[in-house]
Amino acid sequence: MVNELSTILVLLPFVSAVLIYLIRVSAIRSLIVLVTGAVLIVCSLLLIPYAPFSWSPHALLGVPLHGVVQVADFALLLIILYFGYKHRNLVIQVLSVLQIATMVYLEFFMVRGPISTDIFYCDNLSLIMVLVASIVGSLICFQAIPYMKKHEHHLHLEKSKQPQFFFVMILFLGAMNGVVLANDMTFFYFFFELTTLCSFLLIGHDATEIATKNAVRALWMNSLGGAAFAIALVFIYSDLGHLDMQQVIRTGPVAGLYVLPVALLVFSAFTKSAQFPFQSWLLGAMVAPTPVSALLHSSTMVKVGVYFALRLAPAIQLNFLSQTVAVFGAFSFLAAAALAIGQSNGKKVLAYSTISNLGLIFACAGINTPEAITAGILLIMFHAVVKALLFLCVGTIEQSIDSRDIEDMRGVYGKMPVTALITVMGVLMMIMPPFGVLLSKWMAMEAAARNIYAIIMIGLGSALTVMYWARWAGTLMSDPFAGRFKAESQPVLTWFVLLGLCVGCGVMSFAIPWLYALLVVPALGGAYVPPFTVREGILESGFGSFPIVPLCIVAAFGFLVSIWAVRRAARARIVSPYLSGAQTSEVGTFRGPMNQPVKAWARNYYLNAIFGEERLTVWVNLSAGVLLALMMGGVL
Amino acid sequence: MNDYLLVAAGVLAGPVIGGLVSGADRIITARVQARVGPPLFQPFYDVAKLLGKEAIVVNVWQAFCAYAYLAASVIAVVLFFLQSDLLLIFFTQAVGALFLVGGALTSTSPYSQIGAHRELLQILTYEPLLFFVIIGIYLETHSFKIADILRWPEPLLLKLPFLFVVLGYALTIKLRKSPFDLSTCHHAHQELVKGLLTDYSGPFLALTEVAHWFDVVFLLCLCALFWATSWVGIAILLIVTYLLEIVIDNVTARMTWRWMLGYVWAMGLALSLVNLIWLYAAR
Amino acid sequence: MFKSFIKKSRIKSPWLLHFDCGSCNGCDIEVLACLTPVYDIERFGIINVGNPMHADIMLVTGTVNHRNKKVLANLYEQMPHPKVVVAIGACGLSGGVFRDAYNVVGGVDKVIPVDVYVSGCPAKPEAIIDGVVMALGKFEDKVKALRTGT
Repeated sequence: MVNELSTILVLLPFVSAVLIYLIRVSAIRSLIVLVTGAVLIVCSLLLIPYAPFSWSPHALLGVPLHGVVQVADFALLLIILYFGYKHRNLVIQVLSVLQIATMVYLEFFMVRGPISTDIFYCDNLSLIMVLVASIVGSLICFQAIPYMKKHEHHLHLEKSKQPQFFFVMILFLGAMNGVVLANDMTFFYFFFELTTLCSFLLIGHDATEIATKNAVRALWMNSLGGAAFAIALVFIYSDLGHLDMQQVIRTGPVAGLYVLPVALLVFSAFTKSAQFPFQSWLLGAMVAPTPVSALLHSSTMVKVGVYFALRLAPAIQLNFLSQTVAVFGAFSFLAAAALAIGQSNGKKVLAYSTISNLGLIFACAGINTPEAITAGILLIMFHAVVKALLFLCVGTIEQSIDSRDIEDMRGVYGKMPVTALITVMGVLMMIMPPFGVLLSKWMAMEAAARNIYAIIMIGLGSALTVMYWARWAGTLMSDPFAGRFKAESQPVLTWFVLLGLCVGCGVMSFAIPWLYALLVVPALGGAYVPPFTVREGILESGFGSFPIVPLCIVAAFGFLVSIWAVRRAARARIVSPYLSGAQTSEVGTFRGPMNQPVKAWARNYYLNAIFGEERLTVWVNLSAGVLLALMMGGVL
Repeated sequence: MNDYLLVAAGVLAGPVIGGLVSGADRIITARVQARVGPPLFQPFYDVAKLLGKEAIVVNVWQAFCAYAYLAASVIAVVLFFLQSDLLLIFFTQAVGALFLVGGALTSTSPYSQIGAHRELLQILTYEPLLFFVIIGIYLETHSFKIADILRWPEPLLLKLPFLFVVLGYALTIKLRKSPFDLSTCHHAHQELVKGLLTDYSGPFLALTEVAHWFDVVFLLCLCALFWATSWVGIAILLIVTYLLEIVIDNVTARMTWRWMLGYVWAMGLALSLVNLIWLYAAR
Repeated sequence: MFKSFIKKSRIKSPWLLHFDCGSCNGCDIEVLACLTPVYDIERFGIINVGNPMHADIMLVTGTVNHRNKKVLANLYEQMPHPKVVVAIGACGLSGGVFRDAYNVVGGVDKVIPVDVYVSGCPAKPEAIIDGVVMALGKFEDKVKALRTGT
């Protein structure tokens, strides 16, 4: 049973993608997407009781699987090389040739005999990633159906590019499941590079000049990670004689595995997760259609990097590498939060926030205590859901008002009350207790308290985070005379996905005690002692406690009271905002000089002089480069 | 049973202690300014009068935000009385502060908007400081749980003197005392009318005032942790600290947000760093 | 019981809005003098808030002119009930010596309902305080009027 489920999870998206590309009828395409997504969701849920398990299929349709993946791997690298030629980018060409050469050397001159005991291995960490990728990923693809229809209508496209779009989106879901289930590191490498290619194709989807430029940048930065990965594989095989990830981790640096290859693997994780100084590819990727940003660049693909770091964490415990990863992650958290303050472009704020949270997960992996690892795992889960929700909301708003600037979203509550409220709800779920993201941050902070560099940066970063989220949420609601409430109309799928993600996060936050016991504790494996005891819905550790269930109940009660207050206030007398008595009957206007009406307006503080992107990026990249040099140099 | 009593004590402590402290604040301030000052129960009369006013709103979500601010502040104090996790309590009261800002941002009046942004900058300034104080307490007592902190045998003030000064900065900002009373202030006119609170009125203003009392109680409890070994010690510490705040309020002028952010972060980070390094070295 | 506490609080905590409707500033200076330590009206719980949405009592000085009558009306409308208006000085009562000027409306009660008139040119601080105290007594009638809908 479990073998069938895993096969479906990895292979079905590939099959569906091909069907989508071949069948050019939009109704059938939508049906395929919906069915594939639904099947993925069901299968991932059915997989829960079986973890941990391992699985080594020998053949695919009669062809030995190792051979298939080898061929596909080289084909993939050749495709990337082709794109390097097509876009005349020397770095991509060099890196792909390097990767091809390394893989040729590895596969044909080094490898003798079986390289891994199990090809696929699913423990609870992989299971959590499968759930995230399948459930959140499928929901995003569902919302992409109405989104892309409207998107192409806006662009007045004669020939629809949706077949290519959904081909890559669904293919990507298969690649994601493959990456997180893979135990054989060559398989991991194949799926890893496949996600790079998918990202490149999707960023460049609109084929404008800036989209192509940013797609190429994404390709070379991710190829840098791929090259580091390939070199690390050579080192690992020469040290240990196998490429079985579980065994590599169990060996650790103590028994003969030099730290350098692990550091290279961590480096490749950094590039995949767009940490500094490689963040520009993620920011550039924001030109893509919003479902792409939601799927690849916040919820799933960039999570591969942090998943990999959490997976490697047991191997680098008590090592200098672990320390530097912690400091680097905390620095990312702080720097990205600072850069987000200076941004008024909504998608860029979300991008920086993603980098920030990923940095925090890296810091958790680096701190490497049971509390930290728990925090990292929970943060992956909750951040994926909330960030997807926020990106999809921003996409919906953007399609209505034709702008992604926060200043243009001022008072959008007047035009689209339900979407605005869902967006505000999403922002609240990012920064407030008792929701999951804040809980994981709390856990990470308590875990990091013994590392002075990390904790200072995390403290400053957390305060900065609050500022840019609160500013955005307030701006959305900045609509006077908001007594009226007429729900706007959106496609059914959009409502289904947005409300589903919103409610889902709330339910998940309430259910943390059960999620912890069911999913996270087994994921900690033998390397970490479960840090928390669960008693009456209160998470308690040796030095901290978080009464989740009581707090959720009280918060829900407070929420209901506040909603009742809003309904009462709707019957209250509505007055104009204070404009020194000079207000006219028209909203937000006052009588100015020469008795002419003047519109009163205010703009948010973006503090460009301090936190402006141009100003700060140079220093941040420099510091990140220094920290990276410290990490790699310390390892050598 | 004990828990229910503590919850009730927490819910009552806000209005009773917060209101009386607020009243005493006004009397002492007046005396320092060579005036007589209002009666001690004046804040209660203010809140009751506001509750009796007609409810007018600029945006119905102001009502939501006022109630949410009050709810968060009450929950923070109740959690404190239940001796829960200090970092969690810190985040809970931050929720309230954010809802206050959110309610102000829903109004389009420039006074509200600028007041709200100044309040965000104030929050940005004091949040890391409170955070470092809590981390310092953890490093000394090895726990975030207040129950454990209260069992610590010696006064925390001995090992965390600089962190207490840092807490003083955060206290000055949270209590809206000069030189940090940028976003709104208790006494005289603002250059922004009433800043953040301009468009709150009537019952909703009353709720924000009561929520502010709960915040004051939370901060005083946090100060009290620094000499938790004796009741006399707590009394001395709180009285001296609060009187110092009132004096600082009366001798300084309101400054700009740039100065506040720069100065308070510089001093706060420096002092926190020194104290935290001491604690690390002592471990 | 709570209702009677609110009733008592209205008298114990009156918040002022002071608006100058074209006054020569003589009466305004006298009003501000009340806030100084010499008279210290804060001991009655009176605070001078600058915001009509927070105010209970509006002190209006000056004749009203055709430019600021709209502002006066707007401010009065933005005050939540129950509210009282105190017109201060000869100008506020009827326009004073400027009554016949072309731009003068001539008295606050031509724009908004006035409850207490404090005469004088300028009105003395003691008289102003007396006027405010008299206005406090009017709150109950205002509340009753609200309830019966007049």
